[in-house]
Amino acid sequence: MGIITVLWEKWVEFRRDFYKITVAAMIAPLMYLIVFGLGIRTTSHGQPYIQFLVPGLVAMVTMTGSFGAIAQSMSVQRLYEKALDQVMISPTPLWQFILGQIIGGSLRGIYAACVILVITVPVRHGLVFNGLSFLIMLLNGAVFATLALVLSFMAKTYSDAPRFNTYIIMPMSFLCNTFFSTEEMPDGFRQFIEALPLSQASGMIRSIANGEAAGITGYIVLLAWLAVLGAVSVFFIYRKKNL
Amino acid sequence: MIELRELTKRFGEFTAVDGLSFEIGTGEFFGLLGPNGAGKTTTISMLSTVLLPSSGEIYIDGERLTRAASGQKSRLAVITQEYSMRQDMTVDEVMEYQGRLYYMPKKEIKRKSEELLEFAGLQNIRRRTVRHLSGGMKRKLMVCRALLTDPEILLLDEPTAGMDALSRRQMWNLLRQIRGGSRTILLTTHYIEEAEALCDRVAMINRGRLQKLDRPEALIKELGEYTVDETGETGLECTHFADRDEAIRYLEKTASDSALRQTTLEDVFVEVAGRRL
Repeated sequence: MGIITVLWEKWVEFRRDFYKITVAAMIAPLMYLIVFGLGIRTTSHGQPYIQFLVPGLVAMVTMTGSFGAIAQSMSVQRLYEKALDQVMISPTPLWQFILGQIIGGSLRGIYAACVILVITVPVRHGLVFNGLSFLIMLLNGAVFATLALVLSFMAKTYSDAPRFNTYIIMPMSFLCNTFFSTEEMPDGFRQFIEALPLSQASGMIRSIANGEAAGITGYIVLLAWLAVLGAVSVFFIYRKKNL
Repeated sequence: MIELRELTKRFGEFTAVDGLSFEIGTGEFFGLLGPNGAGKTTTISMLSTVLLPSSGEIYIDGERLTRAASGQKSRLAVITQEYSMRQDMTVDEVMEYQGRLYYMPKKEIKRKSEELLEFAGLQNIRRRTVRHLSGGMKRKLMVCRALLTDPEILLLDEPTAGMDALSRRQMWNLLRQIRGGSRTILLTTHYIEEAEALCDRVAMINRGRLQKLDRPEALIKELGEYTVDETGETGLECTHFADRDEAIRYLEKTASDSALRQTTLEDVFVEVAGRRL
């Protein structure tokens, strides 16, 4: 029941800011597509680079869409509007609030991915996006929505939210198997990058897009991230002394 | 009954609430008074579980209040000092969100919202977003939101802060209307006349510690029911007397710009807070 309440709140937010959310989801990936995919024409793994780029961008926007939907809103609600107080004192179990936020954030990531899938229709040929691709997008979105919750609970000032974007999301966007393969990276650094959720999500979505199997490792890595971050966010909301 | 047992809250080296213990009876209108920074809001924040105590506990009817205590929390509502609402939600959406958080049926949310918004005079601005409401309207909306769930315990943290005199009186009337029955109200304020007008009992705190706790008239009686104001070299000085004749005799010996009056709760507050400031 509490989950439905949070999803209703997210729906109210989405309905009101529909155009802003849609445009925001398009701008950055569209620029990457134009510059890297169409402007600098090259090949990767024997095929046009745009075929490599599109699955990476889809994974990336599930990350930015989900993270952005929660990090900004939760930081504002907690530190500026104090609207989180309304939830804290209510009888809605706080784990349901957390789960609702994760599902809501993840759905926003899926929406952003759908926008990219629609606008890339004319340039992507033969790439497969099926139910499994959407499951991976959902999982990836859930991981980053949960990360956003954890960071929002840790934020001390309203301006911390954009900083998290700069220090965590932007480097991941570029390094995690989105624009180029992690195969070329030096040992040690490569393993570190490959353990990050976006690297796994990009790799899995790309494998499926090329008609290959995604492999079980990626699911395990994503689920492990989700479990750890989920546990931390639940711990914070129940036990953090000064929320 | 609400029971605070040795409630303490520290922020690093600073102790905001220091071993606060008192009980609030069912149906009581209880005032928590203190100067700015006395620990009133911190106490309310612990009662609303937004802050967890460094030590000590809160009990409601013998059950410990925690963030996981959904049953206890369903009996509580809070009106915070700040406008703790989504600024981008409309008045209707704020009410619906509150109702949903308290598991109210949709029809019931609609019916009670209409009733409360009309009662507060907000029925014509139901589609307006919170950010476009005046301060007074936001306060009224917070009252409506808190009353939507018909709470047994209402926590009011400086509900009239920043209001003009007229709006403050309107709020007092509103609070008078919602009191009574088994509803317990805890009000924090630094407007002493507000506590005097509304509260059955008041606790005065300073630097997080309980200084006095009693009925307003008992606190006044303890200080002395008559006060002589004198304008001395250091400003206004007040001397309190239990006996009127004694106060008149004192007045006759003092300068011509002295005056005799009834002691108020504010005098008690100044005595309690002033001597430690």
